[in-house]
Amino acid sequence: MVTKEEILKIANLSKIYVSEDELESLTHDMAQIIAFADTVNAVSAGTQEFEGISGRSNILREDEVIPSYPREEILKNVGGGEDGYFPVKKKN
Amino acid sequence: MAKYEMVVGLETHVELSTKTKIFCGCTTAFGAKPNTNCCPICIGLPGTLPKLNRQVVHYAIKAGLATHCNIAEDARMDRKNYVYPDLPKAYQISQYDKPLCYGGYITLRSGKKIRITRIHIEEDAGKLVHDRGDTYVDYNRGGVPLIEIVSEPDIRSIEEAREYLENLQLIMKYIGVSDCKMQEGSLRCDVNLSLRPVGSDEMGTRAEIKNMNSFSNMEKAMQYEYERQAELLDNGEAVEQETRRFDVGSGCTESMRGKEDAQDYRYFREPDLVPIHTSPQTIQQLLQQLPELPDSRTKRYLEYGIAPADVASLVKYQAVARYFDEACQGVENPKTVSNLIVGQLFRRMPTDEEKETCTVAEKTAPAQLRELVQLLESGKIRMNLAKTTLETMLDTGKSPSQLLSAEDLSQVDDTALTEICRQVIADNPGNVADFLGGKEKALQPLIGAVMRATKGKADAKTAQKLLRELMACAQ
Repeated sequence: MVTKEEILKIANLSKIYVSEDELESLTHDMAQIIAFADTVNAVSAGTQEFEGISGRSNILREDEVIPSYPREEILKNVGGGEDGYFPVKKKN
Repeated sequence: MAKYEMVVGLETHVELSTKTKIFCGCTTAFGAKPNTNCCPICIGLPGTLPKLNRQVVHYAIKAGLATHCNIAEDARMDRKNYVYPDLPKAYQISQYDKPLCYGGYITLRSGKKIRITRIHIEEDAGKLVHDRGDTYVDYNRGGVPLIEIVSEPDIRSIEEAREYLENLQLIMKYIGVSDCKMQEGSLRCDVNLSLRPVGSDEMGTRAEIKNMNSFSNMEKAMQYEYERQAELLDNGEAVEQETRRFDVGSGCTESMRGKEDAQDYRYFREPDLVPIHTSPQTIQQLLQQLPELPDSRTKRYLEYGIAPADVASLVKYQAVARYFDEACQGVENPKTVSNLIVGQLFRRMPTDEEKETCTVAEKTAPAQLRELVQLLESGKIRMNLAKTTLETMLDTGKSPSQLLSAEDLSQVDDTALTEICRQVIADNPGNVADFLGGKEKALQPLIGAVMRATKGKADAKTAQKLLRELMACAQ
C-alpha cells in the first residue's frame, strides 16, 4: 500500500511540488509501479548479482587531461552566469 | 576521574591527486578561475555518460592495501540521491554496499588498532560561495575524485582521534595518492561522537559533526561536543541523533538537521557504470608499487637506537626519511646521521613545506653527509669540526673533501697532544695557578686553548685528562 504521506515525502526529497489534486492519481500510479516491480522481483534470477546488460566490467579511462569547455559554453544555460559563477536562485 | 567515555568513529574524505576528475578528462588543478575546469559531464548535463578513471581505482586500492584492507573482487558504483546546488545531477556517484576496500586498520603508538570499516570512491561536489545573502556555485571541484575512509567507533579520546588522523594523512602522503592538505580541503573529516558511562559496553546516541578542516577545529569540536553531551546526560536528558556543524567563530557545534529530516538517499546501482572487478594480479602489482610505510620505517629507526622523538620527526617527512636512509648507507651508526639531520639540517628548513621536499638536498647530497659521517667514524675528524664543516657544506654546497685540508684530516696522536698540552700550561700560568688553587672552572679555558691549537681535532676528554695529569705532575 502506498500512502499519500509517502508520496509527499518522496516529492519533498525530490524538491517537486505536488498539488492536492495530483496527489490521488500519483498515489494510484505509484502503487501500480510498485506492484509491477514486485512482479519483476518474483521472477527467480539466481543468487548472482546482475552484471549489467553488457556483462562487461572494468571499462576504464586513462588519467589524461582533455581540455575543459570554455566558460561561456558552461554558463550558457544560466544566462551567462554571474562573475563566472552559477547563481543559485533563492526559494520564493 | 571522568564520568563518561567518548566513543568516536571518523569518516575521512581524501581528495586523490589524479590529473583528471573521476568521470571526465577535466583537470583537477586547484585554484583555477571558477567554472573553467568543467565540461558537460561534470556539470551534469543530460545525455552525458560518466567514464571511470583507472587511476582512481588504483589509488583507492593502494590506500586500502596500505591500511591492511581487503580488496573487493566485485565492487559497484551507486547513486546517492540528494538535492543541493553543489551537486548538479542531484545525485552523487558513490559506492554503497559494495565498496572497493573493507576491513582494515591503523595502528596507534600504544599498539592499539583502530579498525577501518571500508574505503570507497566517489565524486566531490562543487563549491558554494556565499556573498551578501546570495549563493554562487563553482563546479571546478565537482567530479574531483575522493576516497572516503570510514573507521569503526574504536576511538576513545581526542588524542587518539588526532593520532589516527595524523597516521592516515601520513600514509596517504607516503603512497602518493593525495597531498592531504587540510587547508586546501584535500583532507577533511566528519566526527561521529557519543558518550557512555565509564565501564559500560553499550553505545550511546551519537551526533555527527560535519566537515572538520583542521586538526585544531576537530579537537575543539570534539571537546565541545563531549561537554554538551555530558551535560545532557547529567541532567537526565537524551542526546538526539543528529547532524551538527562546528562553528569556528563561537567554538560551538550547532544542529544542522535532526533525525526527522535525516536524509533518505535512495541509493541504487549506477546504471551508467559497469562493475569493477579486481584480480589478484592487479592487487599484487599495486602492492609492489607501495613504498616502505611509516609504521615499518618507525620500527626500523627505533632499532637503530634513535630517540623516539627524533624517529617521529624523520618519519614525518618522507623526503627527509629517504635522505636519511641514503646518507646511512655504509655508515656504522645511523644515530650520528640522525643527530646531524635533526640538529643541523632541520634548522636550514624550518617550515613543514621545506621538510616535505627536503630542500637541503639541493645543496648537500646525502652522499656528502655520509662522507662527513664516515670521516667522523674513522676518527679523522672530531665532532666539533664535523659540525662546523657541515655548516659550511650547507652554505656552499661543497663536499667534506673539498672543505677539509690535509692538515684538518691529519690525526692528532697522543704524543703531539701531550706536547700541545705542555705548551698550553706553560703559556697560561694564571689559569694553572687558579686550577691548582682549587678552581675547577679554570680548567675550561685551558681545554679551549688546546682545542684552538689543534683546530678542534683533539678529543676534549683526552685533552682534559692530559691537562690534569700534567698539572698534577708539575705541582
